[in-house]
Amino acid sequence: MVTNEQLSYRAIRYIYYSAIVWLLVGMTVGLILSIKYVWPDFLVIGPLQKYLQYGRIRPVHTNSVILGWLTMAYVAGLFYVIPKLTRAPLAHPRLALIVGYLWNIFNGLGGLTLIGGYTTAIEYAEYLWPIDLVFFGLFACVMFICFRTISNRREKQLYVSLWYFMGSLIWFPLLFIIGNIPNGMIGGIPQALAAWFYGHNVIGLWITTVGVGFTYYLLPKLSKNPLYSHKLSLIGFWTIATFYVWNGPHHLQNGPVPSWLMKAGVIPSVLLIIPVWSVLANVFGTMKGKWQLVSHDVSLKFLITGMIFYLITCVQGPFQSLMGPSSVLKFTNWVVGHAHMPLFGAFSSVVFALIYHGFKDFAGREIYSKKLMDMHYWFSVIGFLVFAFSTWTQGVLQGFAWAEGKQYGIQFVEVMQALRPFSIFRSAGGFLMFAGQVVFAYNIYRSAKDGIPVEKKDQQTA
Amino acid sequence: MSQPRESITTPFIIGAIVLFTTGAIATVLLPFFEDTMKRPNANAEIRNYAADSPEYRGRQIYIREGCHTCHTQFVRPTKGDMNLGPVSVPQDYYYDSPVMQGTVRTGADLMWVGRRTSPAWHKAHLKNPRDVLPGSIMPSYNYLTEQETDDLIAYLMSLKPAPSTAGTGAPSAPIPTREREGDTNR
Ligand code: HEC
Repeated sequence: MVTNEQLSYRAIRYIYYSAIVWLLVGMTVGLILSIKYVWPDFLVIGPLQKYLQYGRIRPVHTNSVILGWLTMAYVAGLFYVIPKLTRAPLAHPRLALIVGYLWNIFNGLGGLTLIGGYTTAIEYAEYLWPIDLVFFGLFACVMFICFRTISNRREKQLYVSLWYFMGSLIWFPLLFIIGNIPNGMIGGIPQALAAWFYGHNVIGLWITTVGVGFTYYLLPKLSKNPLYSHKLSLIGFWTIATFYVWNGPHHLQNGPVPSWLMKAGVIPSVLLIIPVWSVLANVFGTMKGKWQLVSHDVSLKFLITGMIFYLITCVQGPFQSLMGPSSVLKFTNWVVGHAHMPLFGAFSSVVFALIYHGFKDFAGREIYSKKLMDMHYWFSVIGFLVFAFSTWTQGVLQGFAWAEGKQYGIQFVEVMQALRPFSIFRSAGGFLMFAGQVVFAYNIYRSAKDGIPVEKKDQQTA
Repeated sequence: MSQPRESITTPFIIGAIVLFTTGAIATVLLPFFEDTMKRPNANAEIRNYAADSPEYRGRQIYIREGCHTCHTQFVRPTKGDMNLGPVSVPQDYYYDSPVMQGTVRTGADLMWVGRRTSPAWHKAHLKNPRDVLPGSIMPSYNYLTEQETDDLIAYLMSLKPAPSTAGTGAPSAPIPTREREGDTNR
């Protein structure tokens, strides 16, 4: 007889491994894109010219990493963490596995249609509506499984991570609907606002909130200290729920929107410092006296690094949403660097920590090589820093060059020439990030195959 | 042991939904009722393409090839946009669906590109941008058919202000090309 636990771990493994494949796919595309900034004719060979044309594969990159890698890894993470926190078995583990299969098909279809030129042209919501419907169905299953598990809970206290998870599971599908209202039903500036509502909040009310939930789960586990303050974490939750939804309009800063709306977008962006502070205070409070662990434990290293990048993101974000900085930085590569910080620097790191930490459980084996884990860490962090600082420098250069009037034609090309050395650095950083993930994927693959089996502890009857 | 399970989750779920809805109404729904969003202007009328006109088909190609991933159509009242033409207003986008504002300016803003370029210039530029502007990193669109290229050019040339608004904003000089480089003395 297969137990529920075996079934659910099988689903979790399948979804995690698929997510890692999407990570590699998405980053390969990202690397190609960055090389095209240096050599625009890179891979302009036969039919590849058309199908790997910059404008077509750019959304393949974003969708693969957001919906393929991070969201899939989050789903696996939820399936892993929720049963731990509720002490209830995962509900419907067979359905969970089917969701995994179909999710891969969904993302594959999405990518292929984009390469074929079928796109809604709305950033981060590029998949056509039939594909959106598939996603919606899959997400409904995820919600069902998670809420069923939570309502079967045997643990009285709802640990704060569960708050974050439940909130995110409710918000994401609502966001998704607003962001994916089909073209033709909506247009013009209202559509831009709806699109930004989605584009910004998918980071804020899904990627961030689930990631913070994972962080609150991992912190006490990895530091072996109790969580510093439960109350603080709840303040963080309610403030993020209150302020984050208002952030969309700051993407149209200095743009064709009424000024009340610009203010309504910027003030909450600045107030977001409260939830960030509450998370960070908890991180530092919980880690007190345990900092020496960071140098030994790669999971903890990833987690802390992720939180530091989260802090930087949330200091940088409000800054660039202000009218003045926005007038220089908007539309430049600065924003590209900023967008990578929560997605790669902060919350991919949290997921790496979660995968390494849970591997013993869901795969029943030890990680194959600790050295490779370290390599994964250093390649990712150094690569990301090189990448990010090149885009930020480029952004500042672009912003001031445009302000001098170099806005089109030959002068524009001159600015572009000045950016080229930084584009080379950017590709190099990206290559290092990518290499780190290859190491990661290889290590996980070897662990799943040859990792030392974990001694089954006296069968815990849950 | 068996405490009422939903006792904690229900108010929580309601709270989460209420907060979400408030933000959504304020930042997505209310703007629909702004006066400026409810009416097109003369610029918008120029962009209200009849189905199957060359401009309409050209716009579809613009979308298909992802030109919007590198080009904005979004002029702000800032220094960085002062040479691009009239500042964008909500009315300009009235018929723009999907909205083509864009988010990154890897290439120049195209909101009013039609007033500083000519069809012949576009033809050469789309075939190979580096023939016209050496050092450009824009992809070559030499794989488009003749028809597709012409449609795309029709669309690009339609991106100009209506005569009534053309007076606002700084005039743009035509783009100097290689042949004209001589007279800019560089
Ligand atoms: C990889 C990003 C990229 C993509 C995709 C792209 N462009 Fe460009 N585009 C540029 C860059 C960079 C420039 C500036 C240098 C130049 O003029 O070639 C530019 C310039 C232009 C210009 C001249 C603007 C001016 O006033 O100087 C036009 C017109 C243009 N692009 C149209 C298009 C169209 C139409 C498409 C889609 C078929 C497209 N671009 C796709 C990067 C891109």
